[in-house]
Amino acid sequence: MAGNEREEQTPPDASRRNFIKIMGIVAVGAGALAFLRGGIQNIIPPSGPVLSGFPSMKLVDATGKAISTNSLQVNNPEIVTFDYPLLNEPNFLLRLGDSNNKDVAINPVSVTIPLTGGKFTSPGGAGPYKSIVASSAICQHLGCIPPEIRYHTFTSASFDGKIHCDCHGSTYDPFEGFKVVTGPTQRPLPNVILSHEGSDPDSDEYYVKSLVGPVIYSHTSDLSGGNPLPSTTETTVTQTTG
Amino acid sequence: MNEPQPIPRKVPDYMRKAGGFMFWTGAMVSAVFLYEVVTGLILLFYYEPSNAYNSTEAFLNTVPYGSIILTTHLYGAYAMIVLVYIHLLRNLFVGAYKKPREMQWLSGILLLLLTIGVGFFGYSMSGDVLSSDATDVGRGIAGATPVIGQYLTALFFGSGTQLSLFHRLLAWHVVLAALIGIVFLAHFFLAEYNTIMPSGKDSGERAPAIDHDDGTYKQWYPYNLMYMLQIVLYTLGIIVVVPSILAVVPNVPALFSPFPQVSATSPLAMSVPAYPPWFLLFIYKELDFQFAQGLGPFYATVFFAGLPLAYLVLLPYIDTKASLKLVDRPITVSFAVIGVIYLAILSAWGALEPGIAIANTVVVLFYLVPLFVVPAIVITLSNAIKTGRLKNPYAGGIVLSAAFSGVTAFGLGMIVVSAKGNYTPGVIAGLSIVGLLFAISLLFAVGLFTGMYPPSVRKEPVPVSKNTYVAYSSVLGIVSIVILFEMLSMPFGNVYDQSLYGIGLGFLFIIGGVMIRLYRGQFYNE
Repeated sequence: MAGNEREEQTPPDASRRNFIKIMGIVAVGAGALAFLRGGIQNIIPPSGPVLSGFPSMKLVDATGKAISTNSLQVNNPEIVTFDYPLLNEPNFLLRLGDSNNKDVAINPVSVTIPLTGGKFTSPGGAGPYKSIVASSAICQHLGCIPPEIRYHTFTSASFDGKIHCDCHGSTYDPFEGFKVVTGPTQRPLPNVILSHEGSDPDSDEYYVKSLVGPVIYSHTSDLSGGNPLPSTTETTVTQTTG
Repeated sequence: MNEPQPIPRKVPDYMRKAGGFMFWTGAMVSAVFLYEVVTGLILLFYYEPSNAYNSTEAFLNTVPYGSIILTTHLYGAYAMIVLVYIHLLRNLFVGAYKKPREMQWLSGILLLLLTIGVGFFGYSMSGDVLSSDATDVGRGIAGATPVIGQYLTALFFGSGTQLSLFHRLLAWHVVLAALIGIVFLAHFFLAEYNTIMPSGKDSGERAPAIDHDDGTYKQWYPYNLMYMLQIVLYTLGIIVVVPSILAVVPNVPALFSPFPQVSATSPLAMSVPAYPPWFLLFIYKELDFQFAQGLGPFYATVFFAGLPLAYLVLLPYIDTKASLKLVDRPITVSFAVIGVIYLAILSAWGALEPGIAIANTVVVLFYLVPLFVVPAIVITLSNAIKTGRLKNPYAGGIVLSAAFSGVTAFGLGMIVVSAKGNYTPGVIAGLSIVGLLFAISLLFAVGLFTGMYPPSVRKEPVPVSKNTYVAYSSVLGIVSIVILFEMLSMPFGNVYDQSLYGIGLGFLFIIGGVMIRLYRGQFYNE
């Protein structure tokens, strides 16, 4: 104790002691400053795009030409998709037909969401034959995207006339508002509302208006949580081999 | 005898001298825990259970300094688990579980469980492929619980949807972290009440070991405060620097990568081996044992994790003898060594051969050989020391390193047996790691035994000129200003730049710690 008191009462090298003290404060302060700067900048969230409402978008092909009824093949075995309402949110575009490749008119139906027991009304088919439907192509079970999830035509070996996800086996029926046929999914696919303009099946146009049904998989809202599409007025339809 | 002193208590000088850091393992855990709480609360602002993987990736890639916060939160958790194990082992070897510290010991075991639990839930939150593997193993164990399995699964992992899963993981992560805070307070104030575990010289190596202020203890402020600050800065520095360096180094194995792996729903997920977090690898490997697969995941976990746990809980009531000497507690020492060996080998095994079933004969060999060999060695050596046949100031060290080298030799044998002549890169890596540990511990044991390392003569401290200290401190002060300037003027945006910022930040913390060390050395004579 005696030694300490001596040290406390008469600091032997006051100036050296203060110098090291200041240098120590500088070093610790530099760390604290750097930490605070990162922390404070981190807390302020970066602003992300949030749409105020569903945009109306024309469906176009890669060259910018409008998709017409006859440019879509009935029972197309390929995967035809477009992004909507944000980037990397694919949707199926299907022209449904029977086993003879004749257009099938799809009527609006009430679809049940098994998870909640709630219902929504599917818009039914668009176009001159009421045979063109669209839905989110992100599986509602765990978010798998095409080609894992795809439409199987009537020539398929299995799941003919259904949308089936190879990840975990969820199956949806596009003829009945993309309702759940088999689990594990507990939600139908969100339905895309299409509008059709023009009467000539070779030069008519299709517009995407909005979505109904469950929210797109892993989103809290269809209108946020992603980056915007490059255009605000049109979205490109792409065809890939499944 | 345990005179009431104002809290915080003063502590003896040897706790702040070289080697004294073993008295501060608890302080290091607390420092890391505090860091985890701060970074965890920041992460809480951004985490979206409905969008677990994407929100984690977005935090990492788009939020300023998100990469530093996320990676250091992960590595802080790793550091906390490692330090909790070190804290446990240290207190096991010094006999700190004995009277009057039983409650401290038991609350410590509870904290170990809570720490592993909070780590498990936190690790599972990112939604990447490793986290979904970890959740699957956890779900399997919970679901296999008799009678209440389905309720436990629903309680911990929700109703089956991804949303309810991640919402629950978040809730449990926060709830368990809060419980750690509460139990920690009890643990800490018990430690203050019972005083620090004094050195063997002070306690005469007999329980109850209580620390008495003989009047020479220095004031808590500033001596203890400065020392603790130094420890906290070193600890923070390490948990910030290590993941930041790993973030810029290419090809870090998935198990130690500071970043989330690919999403569990991505087609690429198939290429990542199914690993749980490394701190649960031992349970994961045990589930691969042939007879454990017969038992099912619940009973296997009860058997493999429950038995050691029950032993730790009962230890203060089994080993009630007053002596704190290692040579008087050969069974406790043996079990501690065996436990470490099981834990280390099982974890390495799980990492190198994930999901490969192990035949019963190999399992029996693995468990029984150390169980008999280690106590035989430890008891023989202990008796030799007690009867005076073996005289060596490093007797304790010889016991431990001999036991360790014996079992690593056994580990080598196990790898050779289980490899069956098929030397894959994993097997070779295992052989070289265990072989290195064996060589080091054997050298250590032989060196101590033959007196190659003579008892160190207490060196007179070399008088360092006061101006040298001034020079050191000014160099470090200037270096820290330069680092800060570099950090502030650096462009940031991508993860790489942020990791450089993290490295700078970590070194600033370490320099701060060194400065306090210099100051203490110069003016506190410590």
